[in-house]
Amino acid sequence: MMRGVSKRIGSIKFSCVSPEETRKMSATKIITADTYDDDGFPIDMGLMDPHLGVIEPGLRCKTCGHKVDECPGHFGHIDLAMPVIHVGFIKDIKRLLQATCRSCGRVLLTEDQIDVYKSTVESVGEQGGGTIDFKLLTKETSKDASARPICPHCAAEQLKITLDKPTTFREDGHKLTPKEVRERLERIPDKDLMPLGIDPQTCRPEWMILTALSVPPVTVRPSITLDSGDRSEDDLTHKMVDVLRINQRLRENRDAGAPQLIVEDLWELLQYHVTTYFDNQTSGIPPARHRSGRPLKTLVQRLKGKEGRFRSNLSGKRVNFSARTVVSPDPMLSINEVGVPVAAARELTVPVHVNEHNIEVMRAMVASGPEPEGDYRPGVNYVIRSDGRKIRVTDRNAETVAEALEVDYTIERQLMDGDIVLFNRQPSLHRMSMMAHRVRVMDGKTFRLNLCVCPPYNADFDGDEMNLHVLQSDEARAEARIMMQVQENILSPRYGGPIIGSIHDHVTGVFYLTHRNPRFDREETLNILSKFQSRQVPEPIVEDGVEYWTGKMLFSLVLPSDFRATFKSSICQSCDHCKKEDCVYDAYVKIRQGKLLTGTLDSKAVGNSKGKILDRIARDYGSTRARQFIDQVTKLALGAIMNRGFTTGIDDEDIPDEAKLQIAEFNKTSIEKVSRLVGSFREGTLDQMPGRSLEETLEVEVMKVLGQARDEAGRIAGKHLGLENSAVVMAKSGARGSMLNLSQMAGCVGQQAVRGERLSRGYWDRTLPHFEKGDLGAEARGFVSNSYKSGLNATEFFFHSMGGREGLVDTAVRTSRSGYMQRRLISAMEDLKMMSDGTVRNTADTIIEFKYGEDGIDPARAIQGRAIDLEDVFVETLGDDAEMLTRVEEAPSGEDYATKEKDEMEFYEEAEGTEELDFGGDE
Amino acid sequence: MAKKDTIKALQRREIDEESIELLLGSFNSLGEIASATLNDLVELGFENEAAEGLMSKVKGRSSPRSSAPKVKKAAKEEKPPVQMSMVNKTRKLSDMEEHLQTMAEELELEIPLKIIVDIASRVKDADLPEAKLQEIIRSAERMFAAHKMDSNESAGIVAAQSIGEPGTQMTMRTFHYAGVAEINVTLGLPRLIEIVDARRVPSTPMMEVLLLPPASDEEQFARRVASEIEMTTLIDIAAIETDITNMRLRIIPDVRKMDQKAIPLEDVYERLNKLRPAKGLVQMGDYDIVVQSDEPSYRKLQLISDAIKNAKIKGIDGIRRAIIRRRGADGWVIFTEGSNLKEVLNVPMVDRSRTVTNSIQEIFEVLGIEAARNSIIKEAHHTLSEQGLNVDIRHIMLVADLMTNDGDVRAIGRHGISGKKSSVLARAAFEITSAHLLHAAIVGEVDNLDGVAENIIVGQPVTLGTGAVKLVYTPKGRKE
Repeated sequence: MMRGVSKRIGSIKFSCVSPEETRKMSATKIITADTYDDDGFPIDMGLMDPHLGVIEPGLRCKTCGHKVDECPGHFGHIDLAMPVIHVGFIKDIKRLLQATCRSCGRVLLTEDQIDVYKSTVESVGEQGGGTIDFKLLTKETSKDASARPICPHCAAEQLKITLDKPTTFREDGHKLTPKEVRERLERIPDKDLMPLGIDPQTCRPEWMILTALSVPPVTVRPSITLDSGDRSEDDLTHKMVDVLRINQRLRENRDAGAPQLIVEDLWELLQYHVTTYFDNQTSGIPPARHRSGRPLKTLVQRLKGKEGRFRSNLSGKRVNFSARTVVSPDPMLSINEVGVPVAAARELTVPVHVNEHNIEVMRAMVASGPEPEGDYRPGVNYVIRSDGRKIRVTDRNAETVAEALEVDYTIERQLMDGDIVLFNRQPSLHRMSMMAHRVRVMDGKTFRLNLCVCPPYNADFDGDEMNLHVLQSDEARAEARIMMQVQENILSPRYGGPIIGSIHDHVTGVFYLTHRNPRFDREETLNILSKFQSRQVPEPIVEDGVEYWTGKMLFSLVLPSDFRATFKSSICQSCDHCKKEDCVYDAYVKIRQGKLLTGTLDSKAVGNSKGKILDRIARDYGSTRARQFIDQVTKLALGAIMNRGFTTGIDDEDIPDEAKLQIAEFNKTSIEKVSRLVGSFREGTLDQMPGRSLEETLEVEVMKVLGQARDEAGRIAGKHLGLENSAVVMAKSGARGSMLNLSQMAGCVGQQAVRGERLSRGYWDRTLPHFEKGDLGAEARGFVSNSYKSGLNATEFFFHSMGGREGLVDTAVRTSRSGYMQRRLISAMEDLKMMSDGTVRNTADTIIEFKYGEDGIDPARAIQGRAIDLEDVFVETLGDDAEMLTRVEEAPSGEDYATKEKDEMEFYEEAEGTEELDFGGDE
Repeated sequence: MAKKDTIKALQRREIDEESIELLLGSFNSLGEIASATLNDLVELGFENEAAEGLMSKVKGRSSPRSSAPKVKKAAKEEKPPVQMSMVNKTRKLSDMEEHLQTMAEELELEIPLKIIVDIASRVKDADLPEAKLQEIIRSAERMFAAHKMDSNESAGIVAAQSIGEPGTQMTMRTFHYAGVAEINVTLGLPRLIEIVDARRVPSTPMMEVLLLPPASDEEQFARRVASEIEMTTLIDIAAIETDITNMRLRIIPDVRKMDQKAIPLEDVYERLNKLRPAKGLVQMGDYDIVVQSDEPSYRKLQLISDAIKNAKIKGIDGIRRAIIRRRGADGWVIFTEGSNLKEVLNVPMVDRSRTVTNSIQEIFEVLGIEAARNSIIKEAHHTLSEQGLNVDIRHIMLVADLMTNDGDVRAIGRHGISGKKSSVLARAAFEITSAHLLHAAIVGEVDNLDGVAENIIVGQPVTLGTGAVKLVYTPKGRKE
């Protein structure tokens, strides 16, 4: 185990490798294009030379003598018969050729100008300019220099240099061979390179023309042995073979004095192979292909893109000690816990250092082997001796290994209850996508989690899988426990409210427990309370000799004893005049001294994102109390809902026949109204809206009429759907669904829209062949007058699918677009950090904000964005006198930007909401 | 600057050809000439006076995109020091606010003014004793301090996640602008992307032009201002007939429309007469305007016809449509499709202090970087809250502050902030990997491994959060 502080890499310098260096660091020169001989042994001075490292287990490296995994691999080199241009530097080579004299090699600037540029570089450096600023500066310098037609140093006339992509230079149309280019670059003196943005110490320009090519170690390009016994070489090896072959032929031809034409052709071919060896996607040349026709993956392809070395292997790393499986719910777990199946717990291990205090316990643990019998107990999979040797513990050797256990050994113990692990679900869009849980080893094969932690992970149980990581060091465990545990993440830093809270049935349960304060007899009370332990049953109220408990009383049990809050619950009707405590809907919540006095608790009280009680407890009573509260509310709510029983079905959308008739009637008149509008549009008597065409005016009017029709249907249906209806309870309490969903099920589905307009595409002048050409009526353009319950007819069903399809396409497009936006945001902002002086700076120490958010408040601790809650201040200082200063928060009306007119527009948005599939799960 | 450009630039400065040739013999660009001294020019063979004239011509309108060294030269020239003063836009504090403010100062408590104002608005009618007020202030300060962000917090990542995560929940459609059904606005994810991209022109530019009293109260005046703003082309107010036999175009004005826009026929005539292809060919009739082609060529006729059709008669470039609406306390307000802040602010009766556009770039150009920053915050916050997404404004502020940090509106992405990072590895890991690495090699760049991405790449702890703390506990060996 590593102890203490490891060394840090201070900085990394990038530079070019000179040909001499290439040769110097080379373990061997490569001359033959063949890899293995007939017996399957690598050929010396071939591409698989054993000097280049080992890939086969058992063999030793001929350079360093180490075995596989110990030998890092060694570079070789190829001496190129003729120099060749490095494609990556082609732009810089061009720049240099143009900016320097063709005869004396000096930069085409006067000495004065060079001084000016030098001083500018210095001043840019002083002003904190980065590499990019220098890059722009040198670009301009080169441009100025290349514009000069005559060398100020030797008065030679300059010719025009052009680049034939990808690698051919021409001077006034005459081809410049790489050799000539190299000679020119060699002539540039060191002192002239600085203004051109090149550091001669790290990169002499002539090094950009290759005379020797480094051959990467075999460990970089391992060959694989197929099942058939055949070897399959890496793409890079294939490419090197090509280079070697042509290089060989070029050398032979040149030495034999072959015609210039042939030599030049071969030279060009060599250039092609070297070019594609670096970058096989160079524009202007066909990519080199594998025998199968697949383009080769050469050096640049290995590095770039999502699957490249940088993003795939360096920015993200594969880990051990992790597990992945399906998740399923378990309301009896705490939000802090995660249920881990035994099979996974036996594989995942935690290292424990053996010392004189725990050696006996450890010895017993090792002795019980990797799979102790009986109830789950952690076994031991490995024992690591002080010299680093790892011993696998099996049933057979358990006893002996236990005997040999000494202080300073480390054992790898299996998971046990209470271990801290990280739990994660992709996509990891925010930090709450990875939180620390405590392990509970359980039967079964799935990870179990409390339902309240679904929202931060955005998890459901339709087959979602999640990952689990076991922490391996004490520091990591401490950090995870203090900062990453679920209870520390109840308040979201996004909006300063709880992101973990009661959902779905829990909200319904709490609603039933508190709405209109139901009474429970002893049996019911005990049933409800039996779900959570360690609480005394409160004193019952005795009335006429009958003892009973009220729901509000029971809920008060889970509140802190000095808790105080006042707010309106989500069933609030927003009456003009609030009757407060005497609210007829029981929507005015008042809690004093930890007792719920009036009001119904629902999503506004305990729900995620809105829960006011939750919000306050998490902020003022600490995360542990908040966790306890959520756990207890969950259990209480389940007790309450199970006491009553709760279900919803198709008959919840039953409405009386007369209401159905009314809706049908209204729909009919609306449809007639639409045809009248269409009629007046045809006759030209429709009043045109200012700034709109006649067609647009018609559409707006029709949408308005049909929107009203749907709303009216919803209203009529709503009249017959009261709070005795389970579906309505869910909608009103904020547990799930909305009244819009209900009115679509019971009343009328309404207008279908694509891109916010009525349906119009399909056939010529009509949506479907069932309608007349040019029919602009309601039915022909996607108005669905049926309800989901009554069932859609064929055309309606088709139109509904059109709307639904748009929603799906939208989601697909959106995820990729927003994913890229987030990647860019993260990349731009990852370096920003709050300093101890209250400023926000990036890691280059540039101040971005003098005071974070203008007040230095942590959004997670702010109260809905406000720095402090004045209510708390008054209560703290004035006690009960605070009542007089109390202001119950009103629901924020849409006061900003769009004002009253927003109501007029509502029907647009609702019409668009129609095709929003509100079922979350879209695996 | 290429030689050709330089010659052109000099010609534009009314320098005769002879001098140009002389100048180019020894100078490469306009900037160089501008930075040359009088003596340099005299040496080249100019008369003293001529040289001076040349200098003033060249320097008088120095090229706007002069490179860094030139800027430095220009800065050395003495300019009268610019008088800077700040307009105090804060309102006067009320008595109670004043009182609480001084109280906080006396108690040496650091409380933002906002909190003091909030407290004052609550307690002003309560008549609380002084001691209680003190207690309130103390308690408020204690809570304020408790809610502060911890140092070393990675504020940037939290902000990026807070804005990025709700992106998946946003819609992708354009909506009708709230209140003005006629105008479409891009909202939701595309708009948010547009904002962080710092696009020059938004996909649906739009303005809200507030008016000063007479116009804000009277519809007639408002309509008049709107017609000043809305761009009107000839085709909007007149029909054009092409008379091929006589090689002429007849423009028949639509009297009703012209009245509506208050354009007299003479104005149209004048406008058309200024148009290049039709110059001098326009004749005013009694009820119409005739444009007679001077060449018997159909091509020319077609050319004139095209030019005339889209000729601007009235209004401001870029404003395609202006609609007036009454809006609460603001009275009549003009909503426009298309945006041109600079010109609109010059229209009489427009309230310059409250007129806004959704084009961040325009705000930057007209009102400066701070205004652009506020505009980014406002637009992004509105885009998010309009979708019912709740994001703390501090996150958006951080994005806006980052984008406007160096006095220019920079995009979040390859061409903006990410592309300008100081670390090679961070840039390579983001986009265009190979180009960054190769360039780093020839320049000999050094990566100091300060940032997050670099440290992850080399596999060591990052310098944010717990990784920023350098305190280490070394247990002492126990002595028996």
